[in-house]
Amino acid sequence: MATLPQLIEEDIQQLDETLRNFNAQTDATTSLIIDKGGFLIAHAGDDQQFDLTTIGALASGAFMANQTIAGLVNEKNFNSIYQQGEKFSMFVINVDEHCLLAVIFQSQSGVGVVKFYADSAVKRIAEQLVRAQARDPQAGLDLSALNATNPQDFFRKKDA
Amino acid sequence: MAIINQATKELQVKIVYYGPAMGGKTTNLVQVHDHVQTTAGNKGKLVSLATSSDRTLFFDFLPIEAMTIKGFKTKFQLYTVPGQVIYNTTRQLVLRGVDGIVFVADSQYEKMPENVESFQNLVENLNSLKFNLADIPYVLQYNKRDLPNAAPTEYLDYLLNNRDVQVPSFTASAHKCEGVFETLNMITRMLLQKYLNQGTPPHIN
Repeated sequence: MATLPQLIEEDIQQLDETLRNFNAQTDATTSLIIDKGGFLIAHAGDDQQFDLTTIGALASGAFMANQTIAGLVNEKNFNSIYQQGEKFSMFVINVDEHCLLAVIFQSQSGVGVVKFYADSAVKRIAEQLVRAQARDPQAGLDLSALNATNPQDFFRKKDA
Repeated sequence: MAIINQATKELQVKIVYYGPAMGGKTTNLVQVHDHVQTTAGNKGKLVSLATSSDRTLFFDFLPIEAMTIKGFKTKFQLYTVPGQVIYNTTRQLVLRGVDGIVFVADSQYEKMPENVESFQNLVENLNSLKFNLADIPYVLQYNKRDLPNAAPTEYLDYLLNNRDVQVPSFTASAHKCEGVFETLNMITRMLLQKYLNQGTPPHIN
């Protein structure tokens, strides 16, 4: 399976800036870039009142489930999903093969402005990922600094 | 696939617990959640998308942070899949981006056909995602060893671990938290060893 391109600090900075601009344009509370496998890649805005790790995992699962439904009703895909709440709403839109943009915003703001600016934000995120892909698809990080010789140190059981 | 974030010095890994229905996948996550030794804030909430009768509907999810290794925070995302045959589409979704697999087999004699069917289903689902089981670190956990009708481990090995390369297997009684951490630590070790051997992880932030 193809994966995300390898991203360096410059990519992350660009993605962060795109998210910050997007939040300013839309008055969104929090915006996230999520890998479709459930990983949180970047976020901007309020990260204190929400559990973004879990939101990332659930939002990607919900989006992918909707993609499967799209297939069942002979749609190529459902490009976005929108959940409306009383205080907060969430909008999730496809970025590319690997990523999603999820936006949490106050429900009183309305989804229209979020949808409008999401298009250009998605484009900028996708372009940055293309630049990352073109840079060096085979580049990697030397993990030899990690010492995995003592696995018992990873997860320890609490004493009874 | 695993993500290494150089900006925040984080390593993120996805491990999926797979196996037949009622085999103990969710119990493994519950035990890890209840008994893992972590510093405050390093253990997330165990999220279960389950039916009213506590059968896994979509997945269980447990984010957890292990120790810092050479400056990298290691963040693990543990998932289970629903074991029931009808939820195959859901299992495919959860397998997306998987780094390592724990196959939880039910040791009871009468569950052997379900174990074999589930393992075959895992292979097929990985193939549908363009993965090959041989390329993914996985371990076997023979659960429910405390039950009187548990089959010998040699028989389980014959059915499930009879491939060119044998993988580590662990006996467990997950509801007593026996074998749970041994299994998790082994898949963790295998995952990191894979990246060490490759020298390069799949992608980097």
